[in-house]
Amino acid sequence: MENTGALSIRNAGKIYDPEGIHVVAVDDVSLEIEAGEFFVLVGPSGCGKTTLLNVIAGFDQLTSGAINMDGTPLASPGKRLRPGPDRTVVFQQGALFPWKSVLWNITCGPVKQGRISVEAAKKQAREFLARVGLHGIEDQYPEALSGGQKRRVEIIRALMNDPTILLLDEPFRALDALTKSVVQEHLLELYDFSPKTVFFITHDLEEAIFLGDRVAIMTTRPGSIKKVVRVDIPRPRDHRILTSSRFLKLKAELGEAIHDEAQKAFEAGERELA
Amino acid sequence: MTDQSVIITKSGERRSAQPMRQLTSSNRFIRWLKSLWGLNLLLGTISIGTILLFWEFAATLGIPGLKDVPPPSAVIAAANDLLVSPQYWNGWLLSFERIGIGFLLAQLVGIPLGLAMAMSRPTFGTIFPIIELLRPIPPVAWIPISIVFWPTREQSVIFIVFLGAFWIVLLNTIGGASNIDRVYKRAALSLGSQPRDLFWKIILPATIPSIVTGMAVGMGISWEMVVASEMIAGDTGLGYLLWQSFQIGAIAHVIVCMISIGIAGYLSSALIRAIGGFATPWLRLH
Repeated sequence: MENTGALSIRNAGKIYDPEGIHVVAVDDVSLEIEAGEFFVLVGPSGCGKTTLLNVIAGFDQLTSGAINMDGTPLASPGKRLRPGPDRTVVFQQGALFPWKSVLWNITCGPVKQGRISVEAAKKQAREFLARVGLHGIEDQYPEALSGGQKRRVEIIRALMNDPTILLLDEPFRALDALTKSVVQEHLLELYDFSPKTVFFITHDLEEAIFLGDRVAIMTTRPGSIKKVVRVDIPRPRDHRILTSSRFLKLKAELGEAIHDEAQKAFEAGERELA
Repeated sequence: MTDQSVIITKSGERRSAQPMRQLTSSNRFIRWLKSLWGLNLLLGTISIGTILLFWEFAATLGIPGLKDVPPPSAVIAAANDLLVSPQYWNGWLLSFERIGIGFLLAQLVGIPLGLAMAMSRPTFGTIFPIIELLRPIPPVAWIPISIVFWPTREQSVIFIVFLGAFWIVLLNTIGGASNIDRVYKRAALSLGSQPRDLFWKIILPATIPSIVTGMAVGMGISWEMVVASEMIAGDTGLGYLLWQSFQIGAIAHVIVCMISIGIAGYLSSALIRAIGGFATPWLRLH
């Protein structure tokens, strides 16, 4: 079967059990993500969305349910698939290797797997970098880059790896609003250039609608799916759609759902503090 | 191929495509020199000059305590004496040799052991209690037992130097290797690395800065140890020469030896800094 990156999450559940206190992180989540789809999961902080991503990536395991990719079982209770290059992750806190140059960071995945030669990888890396306005930073160390540059480099590193599915865990969380809007457009440009299944996590609703083909709202802990909406705004998209009536209507529709959950999360936090 | 100096992205944003200006070590050195030039240089010369003058005439002025210390002129005379003596230069050579061997052995044992302890719980559990038992004993306290244990004096001196550098490099390696952010390991696995690759790809490079810190501190302790053990157990080296000069009452020679050991320690630290900078080029930005 061809690996196209269709992801099927069925009744997925994850219960943490530290010292006998059951914490339900993910509760009966079922999602069908189509091959090549840009799927965004939105939820309040601590709702279990990162847990779900970690299970798909192979860093964690389920306590109930199953996840299949292209019909092949990926994760089920007690079974954890090794993390692998078919499911490359872009991490919230950033994970460029500080001891290697930008170019090395970007080319290490495909070269390590022996898919392409070092020279071909370097050529491809330069094309990717130029596409998002990062020409000439190849020989810098990651620490010399700004936050927005680092995020773009890390996304390119993941795309160069040519995964079946790209997993992005709140990648733009630490960026300021202006940088964020530029980097979001760059992500879309890269997605249009090199389309593949994307599973994107965020707590920013505008970001979700702007980027996604479909947006799912996750409830506060225990995290389950509250609502899934298709974003029928054609691609390629740019920042001008942010003020279109279709965008605003979706934002209003989803905004209400997410606000309720944020409110519940806030109140739960207040209770825990009291 | 066209050479674009400005890239205009889809959103119309203009972006400089010039690589960022790098602060190279040579122009940083020049800036450092410039900052020294001028007022600081003047003040430094005055303060050191005053102390030297005061010291020179302390005996004439009859200052208690200082009147038995040879003045700078006597130290210079002693230096002229020592600088042409083969025993003096041989002392440099032998002390450096002992430092070299003892320090290197400490790295060769300490770094792999520290990495093994950080990566394997059973190894840590087995070895850590022994370390905590032995580490509080100052290396100097090992000198007598070392003389008894090792067949030659040379070996006992090297052993003491080894101990001086060993604990600190071991602890720094353990600390560095056990505090690596797991996100790097996860990223490597997610980019196609096998778990067995993680040691060379992640654990080792991420630990190097801690190892370099351990080496820098360890080198300082090594010099203390080589001087102390040469005084007690040696019959050559700068520490021995210092002690021998003291015993025959050649205090000016003692001071020359002190200054020489200071210079030797400084040169060793500079060497470690250079090696450290070479091993961690990504940290030169800071």
